Amino acid sequence: MTKKRSPILRIILIFFIVEVVLVFLSGNFSKQLEIGFEHGKFRIRHVETEYDLQEKITEEFQIDEYYKQHGETPEIYGSKKLYNSFKFLSKFGTVPFNPMGTFQLLRMLLIVDIMLLIMALFIRKTLARRPAKSQIIFELIYTSLEEFVSETLGEDKAYYTPYIVTLFLFIWVCNMVGMIPIPGFMEPTRNLNVPLGLGFMVVVVVHFSAIKFKGAWNHLQNYINPVKNPLFLLDIVGEISKIVSISFRLFGNILGGAIIILVVSSLVSFVVFPIGLNLFFGVFVGTIQAFVFTMLALTYIGVEIAE
Amino acid sequence: MNLTLAQGIVKASALLGAGLCMGMGALGPGIGEGFVAGKACEGIARSPENASLITRTMLVGQAVSESTGIYSLVIALLLIFST
Repeated sequence: MTKKRSPILRIILIFFIVEVVLVFLSGNFSKQLEIGFEHGKFRIRHVETEYDLQEKITEEFQIDEYYKQHGETPEIYGSKKLYNSFKFLSKFGTVPFNPMGTFQLLRMLLIVDIMLLIMALFIRKTLARRPAKSQIIFELIYTSLEEFVSETLGEDKAYYTPYIVTLFLFIWVCNMVGMIPIPGFMEPTRNLNVPLGLGFMVVVVVHFSAIKFKGAWNHLQNYINPVKNPLFLLDIVGEISKIVSISFRLFGNILGGAIIILVVSSLVSFVVFPIGLNLFFGVFVGTIQAFVFTMLALTYIGVEIAE
Repeated sequence: MNLTLAQGIVKASALLGAGLCMGMGALGPGIGEGFVAGKACEGIARSPENASLITRTMLVGQAVSESTGIYSLVIALLLIFST
């Protein structure tokens, strides 16, 4: 039996060789190679580039600050009409704000929502008694998370599963969507507002379920009654720090990964090495952080309704 | 970019602080995560049938103990980009 080499491996090998040649040709990191046709002849030449890393990072991560410094008209990746109507709406708010960063964030959130909706509709359409591949994957996700929920909260409280699965899928798709190489695409979780909102909603769900299972007065006594709970002040601070810790963990991981990918890929111009970084910081860290977020939410709920 | 002396001192000390913050903040999570991974290895060696459960718990625990390092990363980024 002869071992067949797969065509993908061969393509990767060719890319690797081309890369190594290009890196040796370019020689200096401050220069960039320009390859193209000039006067009908193929030629390679060095181009001196003014590449400021600080400015690039500012453009990528603090888009409001960037356009405030440069004063240019913002380059709009989506629809111009949508942006103009959003800008018109932003004037009615109590606090005047630069709508560019908010518009980008809302656009990415909308894209994630549409992706999730399309996924749901597609899976629903292909439901069958003999499951297809996609159905198997989603049933696997659902049943394994349902198992965690019923392990932590008990069999009778398995109705928390839809919330947990929604949280996991939303954060997971948010972390994955930044890997699509389209200009202007970013992870919505890179902006602090999204994890902060998710963490706040987790704490709201925790207290709502505690009130539901223990009664409002019983639950409130943990935070106002010094006889029943001598450390009630610490508990109040602990509720705030819950929100901060759960949201800053997700935010810091995704932002740090994105900055590392940007810095490394600007240092090495022609190497496909950033794909490996994307594999680690995008796929691995993104999945782990989405999982950790949902597990922590589940643990908070479980601790509050245990008695 | 033209800076006065005071601005330059502030910028330089912010960058120095960011480096120190990241370096010292990475010490604790590094030691802690290594400890957790070692204990998980011991646990898997003792009972290989529980390997998946141990790995899952280890990953969640490591991600939680990593959070102090992430806080220092956030503070370092704030120091670099907001001064």
